[in-house]
Amino acid sequence: MRSILPTFVLVGALALPVATQAQTRTITGTVTVVGSGQPLTDATISIVGGTTITRTTANGRFSLIAPDGNVTVLARAIGYKRLTKTVPAGQNTVDFALENDALQLESVVVTGQATTVDRRSATTAVAVVTGSEVTNVPAPTVDNALVGKVSGINLQSNSGAPGGGIQMQIRGNNTILGAFDPLYVVDGVIYSNATIASGRGTISAAAFTAAEDDGVNRVADINPADVETIEILKGAAASSIYGSKAANGVVVITTKRGQAGATTVNVTQRFGQFRPTRTLESRKFTEAEAVDEYGDDVAHWFANNPSPYFNHFDQVFKPSNLSFETVADVSGGTDRTRYFVGATNKHDGGIERNTGFNRQNLRLNVDQTITDQLKLSVSSTYNRSTNDRGWNNNCNNFECHGYAFAYTPSFVDLRTRDEAGQYLTPDWGTNANSLQLTDLAKNHEETNRFTGGLTLHYDAVTTSRQSLALVAGGGLDVFQQNNSLWAPNELFQERTQTLPGAALEGNGNSLFYNWNLNAVHSYDFNSFSLHTSGGLQYEDRGLKTSRITTTNLVPGQRNVGQGTNTVAQENITQERTLAFYAQEEIRLFEDRLLFDAGMRAERSSMNGDIDRYNVFPKVSASYRLLDLLGEGSEIKPRIAYGETGNLPIFGQKFTLLNTPQLGGLTGFTVAGASGYAGVEPERLKEIEMGIDGIALHSRLTWELTGFRRNTTNLLLQRVPAPSTGFSTQVFNGGKIENQGFEAMIGGTPLQRPNVQWTARSTFTRYTSEVKDLAGLPAFRPPLSGFGGLGVTFIQVGKPLTQLVGRAFDADGNRTATDVQIGNTAPDYKIGFVNDFTYHNASVNVVLDYQHGGDIINLTQFLYDDAGLSADYGSDEWTNRMKGYDNGVMTPYIEDASFLKLREVNVGMTLPQSWVNRTGLRSRSVRVGVSGRNLLTWQRYSGLDPEVANLGSAAIRNNLDVAAYPPSRSFFFNITVGF
Amino acid sequence: MMTTTRQIRRVGARSRGRRVFQAAIGAVLITSCSDFDVQNVNAPTAETLTGAPSREVLARAAIGLQTQVFTSIGGMIQQWGIYGREGWNLNGNDPRETGEEVRGPQDPGGRAGGIWSGEYSAIRSLNTYEAAVVNPSGGLTATETKAGLGFAETLEAYHFHILAIRSGPTGIPIDVDRPISDPPAPLVSMADAMAAASDLFDQGYADLQAGGASFPFTFVGGYNGFTTPATFAQVNRALAAKLLVHRATFTNCAACWTQASAAIDQSFITTTGLPASLSTGVYFGYTSAAGESANPVTEALTSNRYWVHPSIITGAQLRANGQPDLRLTTKTAEAPAPRTLNDLTGTYKPVMYNDPVTRGPNLDADIPWITNEELILLRAEIRWHAGNKPGAIDDLNLIRVNAGGLPVTTLTAASSDDAFTTELLYNRLYSLMWTQGTRWIDARRYGRTGTLPIDRTGDVVHQNMLIPSAECDARGLKVPCSIGG
Repeated sequence: MRSILPTFVLVGALALPVATQAQTRTITGTVTVVGSGQPLTDATISIVGGTTITRTTANGRFSLIAPDGNVTVLARAIGYKRLTKTVPAGQNTVDFALENDALQLESVVVTGQATTVDRRSATTAVAVVTGSEVTNVPAPTVDNALVGKVSGINLQSNSGAPGGGIQMQIRGNNTILGAFDPLYVVDGVIYSNATIASGRGTISAAAFTAAEDDGVNRVADINPADVETIEILKGAAASSIYGSKAANGVVVITTKRGQAGATTVNVTQRFGQFRPTRTLESRKFTEAEAVDEYGDDVAHWFANNPSPYFNHFDQVFKPSNLSFETVADVSGGTDRTRYFVGATNKHDGGIERNTGFNRQNLRLNVDQTITDQLKLSVSSTYNRSTNDRGWNNNCNNFECHGYAFAYTPSFVDLRTRDEAGQYLTPDWGTNANSLQLTDLAKNHEETNRFTGGLTLHYDAVTTSRQSLALVAGGGLDVFQQNNSLWAPNELFQERTQTLPGAALEGNGNSLFYNWNLNAVHSYDFNSFSLHTSGGLQYEDRGLKTSRITTTNLVPGQRNVGQGTNTVAQENITQERTLAFYAQEEIRLFEDRLLFDAGMRAERSSMNGDIDRYNVFPKVSASYRLLDLLGEGSEIKPRIAYGETGNLPIFGQKFTLLNTPQLGGLTGFTVAGASGYAGVEPERLKEIEMGIDGIALHSRLTWELTGFRRNTTNLLLQRVPAPSTGFSTQVFNGGKIENQGFEAMIGGTPLQRPNVQWTARSTFTRYTSEVKDLAGLPAFRPPLSGFGGLGVTFIQVGKPLTQLVGRAFDADGNRTATDVQIGNTAPDYKIGFVNDFTYHNASVNVVLDYQHGGDIINLTQFLYDDAGLSADYGSDEWTNRMKGYDNGVMTPYIEDASFLKLREVNVGMTLPQSWVNRTGLRSRSVRVGVSGRNLLTWQRYSGLDPEVANLGSAAIRNNLDVAAYPPSRSFFFNITVGF
Repeated sequence: MMTTTRQIRRVGARSRGRRVFQAAIGAVLITSCSDFDVQNVNAPTAETLTGAPSREVLARAAIGLQTQVFTSIGGMIQQWGIYGREGWNLNGNDPRETGEEVRGPQDPGGRAGGIWSGEYSAIRSLNTYEAAVVNPSGGLTATETKAGLGFAETLEAYHFHILAIRSGPTGIPIDVDRPISDPPAPLVSMADAMAAASDLFDQGYADLQAGGASFPFTFVGGYNGFTTPATFAQVNRALAAKLLVHRATFTNCAACWTQASAAIDQSFITTTGLPASLSTGVYFGYTSAAGESANPVTEALTSNRYWVHPSIITGAQLRANGQPDLRLTTKTAEAPAPRTLNDLTGTYKPVMYNDPVTRGPNLDADIPWITNEELILLRAEIRWHAGNKPGAIDDLNLIRVNAGGLPVTTLTAASSDDAFTTELLYNRLYSLMWTQGTRWIDARRYGRTGTLPIDRTGDVVHQNMLIPSAECDARGLKVPCSIGG
């Protein structure tokens, strides 16, 4: 008897509530779409205040067990507004017709590894972008497609190069030496966003070789066409479930899945082109001026034309070749098996000759109901990206276009060839011809990637009172990136070098995998409900990069075995995390009050103490005030506090040994950088408050959020007493603060049966301040910029993003010390998204405005250095040269404000009668045109204020050193559905 | 029967459940025991030496010590050479060489704070090595451990000696073998620092004597003839004797003369085989191989960098044939063209590290660490002050005749200390110039910095280098700091 007692108690506990709810009935009905009357698959049907949930089948039908008395039944489906109906006792059928949810009031928000909450009840700010918003207008990469659409985020392209290269900052810069990009999670799989430097800067003599490579952050591999939703967890309370990888926010991407019902096939074909948005002019010369500056050798350029002027920018950057994208997907399934198969083939031409980006994706997502309790979901995708990135950014040997343009006088026609058909050997002092470079040099990148995930969901207990689900998930993300670069001996730049000709082979191998086990329990008391979850997570992230660089090549050879001066490098990093979490969600007052608390305890191999569990707590609450602004309105004040972390960088805990060599013998000596055996994660603590609302019969919604976040325990580097034998040491300490305000307001100003206008605007403003440096003197962080040319400078009481340098004082004299001369962070950003629908036609417009922020125009500085500025001799030029001559950069600092017409999409679904006439047996045909970055208003005199020469720097943005120029794109689209 | 079956079934179910549970817990435990102790495999880590270092690892570490021992020699030759007016740097790319270094004010954040961090970095490596060789789980026998220790202690004492010389009255930290998290080691006076270095030399000597027949590692170039514990012990005594002489002169340690006398007799000093045996000794061995350490001061005759101070050219004594001291003619050469910078004019270049035939730069040229020539000079100094004045004059004459080709000195045992010192310092300068800043050090030892040539109004002779700013900052002391605060 004693041995079975525990079992009895357990069964009893589960059975007990059922016993009190013995009187039940079954309610049946259908769910359809308003207007079309199409049945809705997978709509969720539940009883308000209860835990019973069911879903509609392929024909939109459902059947729900309900208690006997009056009940309120709620029907919801993603993309549609919710609807509740009261079903009195005795009535056993009810039907629902749901409206389109243009304002996304019904989305659900991630709150844990296996839990979500309605957006209406969310206790934190929410940023959700749907798949159609991502794909309306073709974007090079998924992160590109988010620009202007969400608040609290600063997205910036590092350059205009095809194939991506973007920095995303969520709620500001929150670290100095730590990792600075958000965590990406795709279908539950932790997804690498590594930027593996191509090595271009090594060949073209950049100052900061890896950082100036204009690398691609590997989120570029995600196929935008696969995206169902992108949710951005901005605040610490929201992202705390991801522990010490979440301080920079978390981007949760969910891909499309099949729905039960008839098989649907969609094929989209796009054709388009990329075109330069602006150009750069150069100084005009008379023959006398030219000979005076460059000698008699250049006189021949004036032989046939007394005033030759060639725009080198226009000679190299031209409208791209034909760009195209083909997207095909097939989805469908039965009630028990659903699938989604997607395939994409894309080519984006580059505006630089011989550059471009290709991506092929194949996706298979399957959901299988094994038993009524057990469901299996599988996601898998294979991606292949190839990229010819061209030669741009900082190149001290002129092996880049913009840099070479700055030093090539405009009387030179780069196209000129001699009798033998060869480009003329440069006679203008700069050993470079950009056209020759585009002809001969290779900067090729190729990435193959597989990402696969699996989730097992087991409904262990489901009663009208309580439910228990066990969820196990995991997956892996593996990619291999190869970079192949070649600067052949014939290049004018190479001919003059001691070891001419360079080839490089770089490889990056990344393997991430993670798994988790979760239990989610809900219990419904009559007056409140408790939702408890807990579980275990394991994450493993490894990256191995290697590179072989060789110079002094055998002429004509690009194999790295054919050079005499070869350098090999390899770097391996590995991180492992094990975490436990527990979370409690309490809903009171008919779900109006939601209280959520949780904590994650984790250990990581990155920490000095690998056995120690760091705890990251969160607590948050929201209350929905109903009908205050009219029937159906909701106002929701909310407050949240959370903590997240930022792991130490691999290697910070180790003291390395140098390996000096002498007489052919290699020795060990203790290196100058001391490891910190006690290194800990940075800790971000944030309090966030907001008021959200829905009013005017769900035609108006808003979300207002204020936050204040402190990163403490920063990873910093100090100079210990040199008598310790060490020159630097990482330690934890100090504090930086970011505070800000973000807003979203959305509405449907126009809503008629055949005409609809939905508008959404976002506002983002945040400021940072260095609060404490644990006694460190102010310092230049790594990759702060070029000394003397305006650098970021970490200083207590100043913004993290300040720029310092010499300036002119009131008397026009150069200051004796560096002073603040700018701030790269914008004052605020506004996004404005508009969707118009008229009958079968629609127009989508996205505007993106940035106010303020300072940019340094070092491209201009290069032209001035060469004496080739277009405004040579003008007042503006004189003013700049005063700065140039005195080492004062203020004349080169400009306002980075801009307004960009990011996206325009015009589409129309052809009338079915037309389609039928074509003989195409298709369900629907939609045609349209779309464009990206069509118009830009900017104060900046350079090409684009959105540029970051040091793309892989934590803090430094807005640095223009002859980057790959920006472009606008136009596409013609046709989508056929079967 | 029924009951029993049901019970059995239940028990079975229960144990199956337990097995599943145990398996789940097991999975968790396996994961939690999965390797969180991720090592850095990109480069060797200090744990290579603090764990259970193998014989091979320790041998590598000993090579490393040999590459760090000369970490400051380039700076000692140039900067101390400029301080002591052995020469000038007239390159013109750094104003400090004709400014701060001969005129001041000294900058503790720059040049005057040099010859510090490299020395302490070497000391960190030495302390790490010393801890590694005594590790019982390491790969050495007890005798080999002693040999390794003795070698490292000798080098460590040498580094402290350099630091004590550079800093003089500001003091230096000695007790630096402590965790980086501890407060920085206290500053001790020059006398205490040098005494501590003496003790380390003595400890090293004792350990070398117990070190068996061979070292558990190989040697880079420059140690020919001194690669066994017994022979390297002679190097230890040579360096110890030099330190004792410095203690006697710098810090008025009268007893040090006697100790120095004992030490030098145990060194490799010899008077047989002269003049060839003058160069017997240990050297800093350089190579021109890629990625290795090349001679840091050798350069072409046409280079604008290093110039011999004119006082050395004019101050050379004449040989019987009327030609100047051989040491001058072999170590200097007239440049193709003189060089003037900031009112300083150089005409002669040091060529002791140049190819003797082509006079071109020789990246493989070794730099003497301590040689028989210096030992004989040290013994002359010791003998004079320890009461063997005729012996002292004999030693001086050995150098004058064999190294300089000069006639014997006119000094006698009755000559004044001052006259002896003048003659001693003359010979030390011409024998040791451009190797270790000897002119500056000797002038300081004998209070003769006032006699060094001043070339321009306002120029000065610095009395010592300063504690670097970073060291003061880390101690929370105002820059410039010293043992006084």
